[in-house]
Amino acid sequence: MKMSCLKGTTISFSCLKLAFPSYPSSFQNLPFRRTIKPLSAALQTSPATSPSTTKAEDQVARSHWKAAIDFKWIKDNKEAVAANIRNRNSDADLELVLQLYDRFFNLQKEVERVRGERNAVANKMKGKMEQSQRQRLIEEGKNLKEGLIALEEDLLKLNDKLQLEAQRIPNMTHPNVPIGGEDSSMTRKLVGSAPEFSFPVKDHLELGKELCLFDFDTAAEVSGSKFYYLKNDAVLLEMALVNWTLSEVMKRGFTPLTTPELVRSSVVEKCGFQPRGNNTQVYSIEDSDQCLIGTAEIPVGGLHMDSILAETLLPLKYVAFSHCFRTEAGAAGSATRGLYRVHQFSKVEMFIFCRPEESEHYHEELIKIEEDMFSSLGLHFKTLDMASEDLGAPAYRKFDVEAWMPGLERFGEISSASNCTDYQSRRLGIRYRPSEAPVASPKSSKGNLAPPLFVHTLNATACAVPRMIICLLENYQQEDGSILIPEPLRPFMGGRSVISRKL
Amino acid sequence: MKMGCLNGTTISLSCLKLPFPSYPSSFQNVPFRRTIKPLSAALQTSPATSPSTTKAEDQGARSHWKAAIDFKWIKDNKEAVAANIRNRNSDVDLELVLQLYDHFFNLQKEVERVRGERNAVANKMKGKMEQFERQRLIEEGALGTQLPLLCLLGKNLKEGLIALEEDLLKLNDKLQLEAQRIPNMTHPHVPIGGEDSSMTRKLVGSAPEFSFPVKDHLELGKELCLFDFDTAAEVSGSKFYYLKNDAVLLEMALVNWTLSEVMKRGFTPLTTPELVRSSIVEKCGFQPRGNNTQVYSIEDSDQCLIGTAEIPVGGLHMDSILAETLLPLKYVAFSHCFRTEAGAAGSATRGLYRVHQFSKVEMFIFCRPEDSEHYHEELIKIEEDMFSSLGLHFKILDMASEDLGAPAYRKFDVEAWMPGLERFGEISSASNCTDYQSRRLGIRYRPLEAPVASPKKSKSNLAPPKFVHTLNATACAVPRMIICLLENYQQEDGSILIPEPLRPFMGGRSVISRKS
Repeated sequence: MKMSCLKGTTISFSCLKLAFPSYPSSFQNLPFRRTIKPLSAALQTSPATSPSTTKAEDQVARSHWKAAIDFKWIKDNKEAVAANIRNRNSDADLELVLQLYDRFFNLQKEVERVRGERNAVANKMKGKMEQSQRQRLIEEGKNLKEGLIALEEDLLKLNDKLQLEAQRIPNMTHPNVPIGGEDSSMTRKLVGSAPEFSFPVKDHLELGKELCLFDFDTAAEVSGSKFYYLKNDAVLLEMALVNWTLSEVMKRGFTPLTTPELVRSSVVEKCGFQPRGNNTQVYSIEDSDQCLIGTAEIPVGGLHMDSILAETLLPLKYVAFSHCFRTEAGAAGSATRGLYRVHQFSKVEMFIFCRPEESEHYHEELIKIEEDMFSSLGLHFKTLDMASEDLGAPAYRKFDVEAWMPGLERFGEISSASNCTDYQSRRLGIRYRPSEAPVASPKSSKGNLAPPLFVHTLNATACAVPRMIICLLENYQQEDGSILIPEPLRPFMGGRSVISRKL
Repeated sequence: MKMGCLNGTTISLSCLKLPFPSYPSSFQNVPFRRTIKPLSAALQTSPATSPSTTKAEDQGARSHWKAAIDFKWIKDNKEAVAANIRNRNSDVDLELVLQLYDHFFNLQKEVERVRGERNAVANKMKGKMEQFERQRLIEEGALGTQLPLLCLLGKNLKEGLIALEEDLLKLNDKLQLEAQRIPNMTHPHVPIGGEDSSMTRKLVGSAPEFSFPVKDHLELGKELCLFDFDTAAEVSGSKFYYLKNDAVLLEMALVNWTLSEVMKRGFTPLTTPELVRSSIVEKCGFQPRGNNTQVYSIEDSDQCLIGTAEIPVGGLHMDSILAETLLPLKYVAFSHCFRTEAGAAGSATRGLYRVHQFSKVEMFIFCRPEDSEHYHEELIKIEEDMFSSLGLHFKILDMASEDLGAPAYRKFDVEAWMPGLERFGEISSASNCTDYQSRRLGIRYRPLEAPVASPKKSKSNLAPPKFVHTLNATACAVPRMIICLLENYQQEDGSILIPEPLRPFMGGRSVISRKS
């Protein structure tokens, strides 16, 4: 953009060298914003840190949170990203994202340029000049300002659109993950063997009925279907499972936590869930931006949101106990009886924040912990490397454990361990500052610090109580209808070794 | 109502004797409904048993649940009820309730009467039809004109009846709306007045003396890395928190210990749904949809989050008739509780004292009316024993009439000394709700009779069912207990001594100290 001649002088702004660092791949780092005072109060691309108390839908699009997506990387690896989208059967529109990104990038440059021109005019006005010249400059400045406001609004809207589309792009996939649907999942490990029974096997509902362990019928009246009361020894069994699991995982260096079970919907979204989609798994609170959590993964991920952690703190390992709530909308089929699929349950969850180069190691560690625990309970189970269509957007790789449930006569999922790499951390804004080799300089200035990098996050189920109860009841049933309690749980059940009919 | 002459015969319907029992005091027992087929599908006064999935507000008023209120008793004890309403500072309009009730009562009689007439016409028509068939009279003479006239009469009566019945329903809804607001009666020993009138029943223990500056639980928790309120405010909102490290173990220890202590005393352990239909919340005496409601509601649903396990446990026996031999039913329930704390202001809301989500172990008893005062004493004794064994300094209050809350006939609160807050803070509440909740939840029992030496046992030998009494009491409200333990057992070096009873539940540990 060239200014028209003022007294024969052509002011060429396009050649002004702006004192801005080159556009970094992480759009969140926009240092020039700090040097230029935003003209528009609405100009925000830094992550929203102030809590919002209005419904997400009521918020103006431009105050919706932004993920730190590496657009340059996507552009440079376009084929791989496209293949990944296909393999995962995702409906993200990569072409659209790239188009929007190019437009955004160019518009951003334009905005920078016009800003530069406006600054130049402002600087020029500082000098001495004739009234008429000053008048012309004021006029020019005003035009530039109005033009800039319009451009900046366009930029915001474009950014929102870009984010909306780009956030749907699923995480990349580990090269060893089998490509395809459910049937393509690979068994990594098979542990134990199915127990043999010399009598007719009962399912957990029947066993529970005889032992007065659950009540589904009254819960349906009080709350709705797929709710339940646990009674008598089932309560002790739940407490034993939770206590034992917490202590086992704590032994391995995890910090215990209990978490809020109501969280802001933006945090749910940042973890990769869809609180407001059709068939959403998420319960929302009326007249609020809060939702019930479906897993402690969400509030634990939020524990370090919008933070830069010292590298020495990593890895951060947490074991969290919470109740979980899921609508199970769209879940149909025969295997939804009893405790198998319920709206509310207790769960102990493991969560790790670590450096990128370590996430695969910790993924193996998490699955090992699960395998050790399930083995020590004497369960027969297999560990699966889930296929690409079954990963879910955040997971780079996912191992599921399915345990044998004699009453259901099949394997049923009892846990899931996901490596989400930087998918969640780019949305939650969780980074770490790598320690540098010490520089022998007395002056330690900001320029010596390495730029922060996004952490990797992992999560894994240590114990999903209802599924474990199914496993224990069905596998350890005795001919007389009583249930043997596995050794490790006995100290947590007051030393008892059997659950039998309530006298 | 007399029919016009048909061939000189006067059909007098009003003298027909209808086989209806006299109107019982409990309006729910309206047997005549079962003998007459309802004309209108909307005609329902029996308790709604089918789950509703639409919002309470969206439901037509007539499908809203009905409480089995004893109107006759209220009418007969009008002064006592009015005095009680005044003592409790309730704004319910008793006069209006009594007017509506009289109106309802009379309209109901009218409806019965008109029904009777319609039945008579129907019978007469039936008789005429038989006669017609028997005699096979084909001519459209004398008989022929009677039938159409009867039809017309029947039709008018039917339409009139439909209109009356609709009026009756609407009136019943109005009556219920007002009457449900009438608070429970009050135990004669309850002090009359506000907060300051509550009486101390008992004082246990004494405030610990400290030779060093006392810290409050927030400060202690910060130093020991026990809580995080700041991040929770970002993730969830204010008054939410994470428990970390030893605080998690302390919560688990408190819950495990409390459950085991109460189970030893014969209570059946339970875990409960934490989402319940809003009608259940209302039936327990809470207001899910009022201003400043304590209750979180779920979007696009009639479900709410529970503020206490009292609600789902009360619901456990809703719309049931229990055998007397089953009573008392004693439950100890562990759940998370959710409260909006809307309208809660003031200084004492820092930290764990007032939060939106917490773990609680609750005791609940269903019993015969004559036993409820005994069980109220039993519940408060259990609480006292537990808090004493934890070494707390506390007082037990007999709450004054204005502080009871609508369902409670009598309420004992326990307030424990919190050195960091420098005052007593409520850690539990034990209420005798008599039949307030059971009349709404529809929970009755069948009293046993002295055995009658008759081989024929018919329905009329069974005593009519009566409403149970319900009681509830906090066994352990975890955050308040954590405040008590941290603040009372703090050591000079900032560590916390763990009271004896909890040590086995904390892996034998006796101290919470700085995380190394």
